[in-house]
Amino acid sequence: MVELTNEDVLKLARLARLRLNDDECGVFKKEISSILGYVEQLDKVDLKDVVPTYQVTGLTNVTRPDTEIDYGASTKELLKNAPALENNQIKVKRMLDR
Amino acid sequence: MVRPEIRSGYRVTIGIECHVQLKTKTKLFSAVGNDAREAPANTLISHIDLGMPGALPVLNEAAVVLASRAAFALGTKPQPFSKFDRKHYFYPDLPNGYQITQFYDPIIKGGVVTFDVAGEQRQVRIHEAHLEADAGKSTHPVGRDYSLVDLNRAGTPLLEIVSEPDIHSSEDARAYARELYLLVRYADVSDASLYYGNMRFDVNVSVSKTDELGTRTETKNLNSFRSVEKAAEYEIDRQIALLESGEAVVQETRGWDDSKQETFSQRGKEEAHDYRYMPDPDLPPIVLSDDMIAEFQKSMPLLPNIYRDVLKHLGLDLATIETLIDSPANTKLVKNVLDESDAQHAKRVANWLVNVSTEDDDDSQQSDNRVSAEAAIKLSKMVSDNKLSSTSAKEIWQEILVQGGDPEALAQSKNLLQVSDQGEIASIVQAVLAENPKAAEDIKNGEMKAIGFLVGQVMKQSKGKANPTLAQAVIKAQLGL
Repeated sequence: MVELTNEDVLKLARLARLRLNDDECGVFKKEISSILGYVEQLDKVDLKDVVPTYQVTGLTNVTRPDTEIDYGASTKELLKNAPALENNQIKVKRMLDR
Repeated sequence: MVRPEIRSGYRVTIGIECHVQLKTKTKLFSAVGNDAREAPANTLISHIDLGMPGALPVLNEAAVVLASRAAFALGTKPQPFSKFDRKHYFYPDLPNGYQITQFYDPIIKGGVVTFDVAGEQRQVRIHEAHLEADAGKSTHPVGRDYSLVDLNRAGTPLLEIVSEPDIHSSEDARAYARELYLLVRYADVSDASLYYGNMRFDVNVSVSKTDELGTRTETKNLNSFRSVEKAAEYEIDRQIALLESGEAVVQETRGWDDSKQETFSQRGKEEAHDYRYMPDPDLPPIVLSDDMIAEFQKSMPLLPNIYRDVLKHLGLDLATIETLIDSPANTKLVKNVLDESDAQHAKRVANWLVNVSTEDDDDSQQSDNRVSAEAAIKLSKMVSDNKLSSTSAKEIWQEILVQGGDPEALAQSKNLLQVSDQGEIASIVQAVLAENPKAAEDIKNGEMKAIGFLVGQVMKQSKGKANPTLAQAVIKAQLGL
């Protein structure tokens, strides 16, 4: 079974913008390793002639015309869940650009 | 600066990724207006752009058409099968937590861009080009501990064009960037306003003394041809200087500081290129039949290199041709004049377009053909028929460029029509000769310099309306020469 290292878990956490303490890191190392182990069972299946499944609907070319639709929600309503606003812009923790 | 003799020992390799904003009315996956230029913050958004739970993106058919046209502009055809994938990363201006793009099966594979640099042909192969949705825009107020996010731009359709590493100088990098700009404008794929960031370039540069490629850096988000050239130039020098002093080039993402004219490291911003791509289950694939592809091809307008050939045949010089080519509207006007009259008029109109400028001759949005081919031909014919001097014609050209109008009526109202009436000119010449007996005598004695002076006098008396060629002929005739 795959055994993740602490570094693997910390990298995943970084990608997900999460900060983990040592205890949490230990918990996730075990849990994620076990999830990967479960999925790993698929490695036993012979997939030589199997085409990957990207879609199960069988649909193609589902498009819409290039015209505006009024979805019926205002800026105010749409931004209701934003943690903070300033002049209708969403206020977030500062991103460092340089 | 690296000394040229050291520099010539290195081979430069450059590849360019270019994001082009497609000129659709609505976003790629939501039916919300796409023109975020002047819109107040977060007014062009929907549940889809905000990545609300359960929101279903639906592909804008216009984006497929425009991407297909781009394929032909890039010297290839759109792929019969393409589909969308999710590229995961977390950033406040990306509400979904992933960008919808085409990673595994892009709509364009292969292609080639052909252009000249200083009279020599260059060919840059296209690796692929894919459709993707833009992210929102973040700003960072000075002195504050927060950033602001406006999602008007989130979901805007982009075509990312990825070149092969076929470029070998900063000058060629600039020329390639300009050629892409021309191609997407002529193919009517994008407004390509550099000012509004409709085109952004990422430049990958490496240098090497051997056939093996060196370590590359990527300088992101360049928004002008000049900055493409300057950033490439800076990176070439920086990398050679590093290698010459025994250090190594670090593979990294860099930014461009336009005020300092230098690149800077952006390490740490996205240290891990771990995007965990997966097919987007919400979006069924795009399948283009041969008929559809043929239909797209039929709708293709003429591309810059075709126009260049036409203009070359008119006998225009290279600088004039390239200036004209910068404006598809102007180039089309010259072509229309040629089609509806002949090369003489087309060439004259081409020269007016390049040499007689108006004040609003900036960027791409200029005077999209306020002059019709018909008016241009009429004006040019008046010059050929000696009804207008070339100076007066330019004056009228400028006038109709700004506000339109009929050239003949304008010439009349401005009193610019040339007098080509033999009788009228003859009487003016008679008066001028009588007033200037010395000059008349000089000419008779073979001093032909004086004839210029007399023609000048005739022009003066006629208030500039006499046809100078005719005036000269009449002077000679009256002096019995």
